[in-house]
Amino acid sequence: MTIEKHNGEYLDLLLQDVFKCVRCGFCNSVCPTSNISISYMGSRTSRGRIVILQAYFSNILNKPIESDEIQEAFDYCFGCRRCLDICPAGVKIPQIVWRVKSLKARKRLLHRFLFSNYGLLEKICSKMPKLSNTFLSSSLGKTMLERLYGIDRRVSFPKFYEVSLESWFRRRRFQNSGGRKLSYFVDVFTNYHEVDLGIEIVTTLEKLGYSISIPPQKEAGTILFEEGLIEEALKIARYNIENLYKSIVNGSVILTSSPAAYLALKKDYPEFLGDEKSRIVADNTFDVLELLLRDVEEGRVKLDSREGFKITYHHSCFTKASGLTKTIKRLLSYAEYDLKEVDQCCGIAGLWGMKKKHFDQAIEVGSGLFSELKNLAIPVTSQSETCRLQIRHNTGIDVKHPFQYISEIIEPRP
Amino acid sequence: MKTYFNKVSRSDLEFFEKLLGSRNVSTSEEELVVNSIDAFQGDFYRADVVLWPETTEHVVEILRYADQHRIPVYPRGGGTGLTGTVPVYGGIVLSMLKMNKIVEVYEEDMQVTVEAGMIYEKLNKELEKYGLFFPPDPSSGSVCTIGGMVASNSSGLKAVKYGTTRDYVLGFELVFAGGRKMKLGSRTFKYSTGYDLARMMIGSQGTLGVFTEITLRLRKLPQDFKTALAFFPTVESAVKSICKIVRTGLDVAALEFVDEPLIKNISEYKKISFPESKAMVLVEAHGSARYVEDVLEGCCNIFRENDAVDIWITRDREEREFFWSARRSVYPVSLRHSRYLVISDLVVPISKLLEAVLKTYAIAEKYKIKASVIGHFGDGNIHVHWFLGDNRELLPIAHKANDELAEWVIDVGGAVSGEHGIGTEKKKFMKLQHGEAYDLMLQIKRLLDPKCILSPGVIFDVDEVIQ
Ligand SMILES: Cc1cc2nc3c(=O)[nH]c(=O)nc-3n(C[C@H](O)[C@H](O)[C@H](O)COP(=O)(O)OP(=O)(O)OC[C@H]3O[C@@H](n4cnc5c(N)ncnc54)[C@H](O)[C@@H]3O)c2cc1C
Ligand code: SF4
Ligand code: SF4
Repeated sequence: MTIEKHNGEYLDLLLQDVFKCVRCGFCNSVCPTSNISISYMGSRTSRGRIVILQAYFSNILNKPIESDEIQEAFDYCFGCRRCLDICPAGVKIPQIVWRVKSLKARKRLLHRFLFSNYGLLEKICSKMPKLSNTFLSSSLGKTMLERLYGIDRRVSFPKFYEVSLESWFRRRRFQNSGGRKLSYFVDVFTNYHEVDLGIEIVTTLEKLGYSISIPPQKEAGTILFEEGLIEEALKIARYNIENLYKSIVNGSVILTSSPAAYLALKKDYPEFLGDEKSRIVADNTFDVLELLLRDVEEGRVKLDSREGFKITYHHSCFTKASGLTKTIKRLLSYAEYDLKEVDQCCGIAGLWGMKKKHFDQAIEVGSGLFSELKNLAIPVTSQSETCRLQIRHNTGIDVKHPFQYISEIIEPRP
Repeated sequence: MKTYFNKVSRSDLEFFEKLLGSRNVSTSEEELVVNSIDAFQGDFYRADVVLWPETTEHVVEILRYADQHRIPVYPRGGGTGLTGTVPVYGGIVLSMLKMNKIVEVYEEDMQVTVEAGMIYEKLNKELEKYGLFFPPDPSSGSVCTIGGMVASNSSGLKAVKYGTTRDYVLGFELVFAGGRKMKLGSRTFKYSTGYDLARMMIGSQGTLGVFTEITLRLRKLPQDFKTALAFFPTVESAVKSICKIVRTGLDVAALEFVDEPLIKNISEYKKISFPESKAMVLVEAHGSARYVEDVLEGCCNIFRENDAVDIWITRDREEREFFWSARRSVYPVSLRHSRYLVISDLVVPISKLLEAVLKTYAIAEKYKIKASVIGHFGDGNIHVHWFLGDNRELLPIAHKANDELAEWVIDVGGAVSGEHGIGTEKKKFMKLQHGEAYDLMLQIKRLLDPKCILSPGVIFDVDEVIQ
């Protein structure tokens, strides 16, 4: 079934979920956008969006859902998923929002084309990193990013690394040992912008006896879901699932290091596709920190003590949503880090906070976090790549992936 | 519906925009819809305009203008009300959400003055710095406002020890219909100075005036707290335990009852495997570590005497918060199991609690619908959940069942609402509940709001007020 052909039926999918909402407003109390000054307006809140849909399905709403005003209300949801955990009625708020956004998004042909090909565009840029970096930081490059992707000129677009992780992996001489097999689902950011992290993950895991491959894959597609391009996201999802499933059949488990990639495989793909293969892929997907924790707890890996070393653990929204928080905190506690926790959204939410229309609001959302981190003035760890970017930009503090705090203290195996 | 009121016109909007600035006036479709419904499972209505005053003077001007032009005004806080306090006659929704600041903390007096739109949990977060808190703790505390709580006389899980909102309101500034501003009450814990008009306003659900600033007395944050959960083979043994705890004078901070179907819902939602039982009791004690242990030990002895099949005591703050968050979610979680649900807010003298539960089950059987009971039993408050599943057609039957129970409750000296209020939902019980006093209430309403501008249709039918 494609969305285009079954518009009514497609919207009806939401109906059950929308009417489960009791309008308690608990979602507003955790929604990071409740910090934005305009959130005194009920229609700009999480509960408000669901009430708008209740009115629509009750034939009360005198405006089409595709109208700019209603779409703008839905645009205030940036898909962080904090509400999923608190909603006692089990309303899948972000998924509902994506579907509503899709009503307009699929009619915007250029937008659709640009976003469904952003993975390809990243790939092309990564082939000529110097040129791409110079161009994207030039006035012309910024104008292009603004016009095509709505990215604010104040954003410093993440730099392309000299080589992509995939190319580095293909070109190197090292042959994998015959250890436990991992297929790395890398996602865009690690593949093109934080390649050093990817390299560190691959080399460390290989030293620990894992055998790593990078199967054919595309980006996770989270941005497409959030842009309301569900069909396009699902096309990518199907491609990824096919390839990752083959890896599993060949005896691998799937490795991720980005919470967005993990969430896509664990939750989004199986929920939207609802098929056996995506369920099997979900069951066989592990974050690098999950693997390390298991290795530590089963005695295969020993960690040096970092007793007295202070770091701030930033709860990224996607880490919370993926349920990995306990794993990460436990792993860091084995290393005896002196952990201070900060649980506030940084406001970036993938692409949302980079967009011109939301740039200032993203800073408004994150302002509490930034001042708390500045007060603490100690290094920060956050699992999410875009949170790291946003925090670095707005505080000047060093932010690393939790893996980097662990990999440096893994004791050599006997 | 007879037309007592005028719709908001273009010139009215111009007045409001001039007064408040255009950002504080909205007639957009989505804003009207969202602000015209609360958490009651009722119908959608539609205000003509939503206004966000930023000062008491704004409220004064709006009420003066609305009275002159016969435009209804519905004050609104967090919109979590459960009784349908919605713009049934259209007009203005007066959202207090921009009046959300702490005016002053009187640390030495253990008091605070806040604007009415301040959110309950945000206030307590601020007060933590002073080691103080405002105790009523409604389950909706992360969303509801202090103004909404005062207007509904809200309370919650801790009322058995700390009482209700009313017990903490020392005084307030409010604006009457017509725009008259007044301060009522005082900043002292007691006073004996003629009629206590302040107390009369508490629980008035936006029908007598609009609260703008409220002064609350506060309590010291407890040093320690601990929760126990006890599971019983019968409803009788659970209720008997609760009554004995109250009668023994054990100083519990919360004393909650949950019966089997709702235990199952909680267990499924939070993925907890509770022991097999017909009823669960949650109890909490506050005070020094030693005191808390003693109170809980006293409760556990009573639980054992009454054949509790198992008793769990929380080990840390996280575990305690986990169980209470599960308890707070019970009502919305019920909606997962039953799209249509009627919920009651009855309150009885504690000697009638067991009878009330058994009566509920008997009525449910008579009408062949599913019912489950939960409540703040320590203070006699019962929330019956009448489950209708997906069958909207059962709504009239559930209301009939609920009415029958409510009439019995009034008959035994109880009340049809312990904490949610009357709203549009329970108007039909007002005469039965109050007898002759109902006419006195109508006279008061007519005196203070003769044109019935404030929340028309809430608590009273308009044609009873305007004769
Ligand atoms: C999930 C859930 C759990 C709940 N649990 C509890 C509970 O444990 N205990 C409990 O007591 N209630 C509970 N409630 C009911 C409700 O939350 C409370 O009555 C709450 O105090 C309402 O506050 P509000 O700010 O949301 O008010 P609203 O819903 O906005 O308004 C409620 C009433 O107050 C009036 N009002 C609001 N502000 C003012 C003002 N400034 N001046 C004059 N009138 C005003 C309104 O006109 C209306 O009549 C619950 C509701 C939900 C949805
Ligand atoms: S997904 Fe995040 S931004 Fe969207 S409504 Fe939920 S909490 Fe708010
Ligand atoms: S938390 Fe869930 S039930 Fe409550 S208002 Fe939000 S969507 Fe509705």
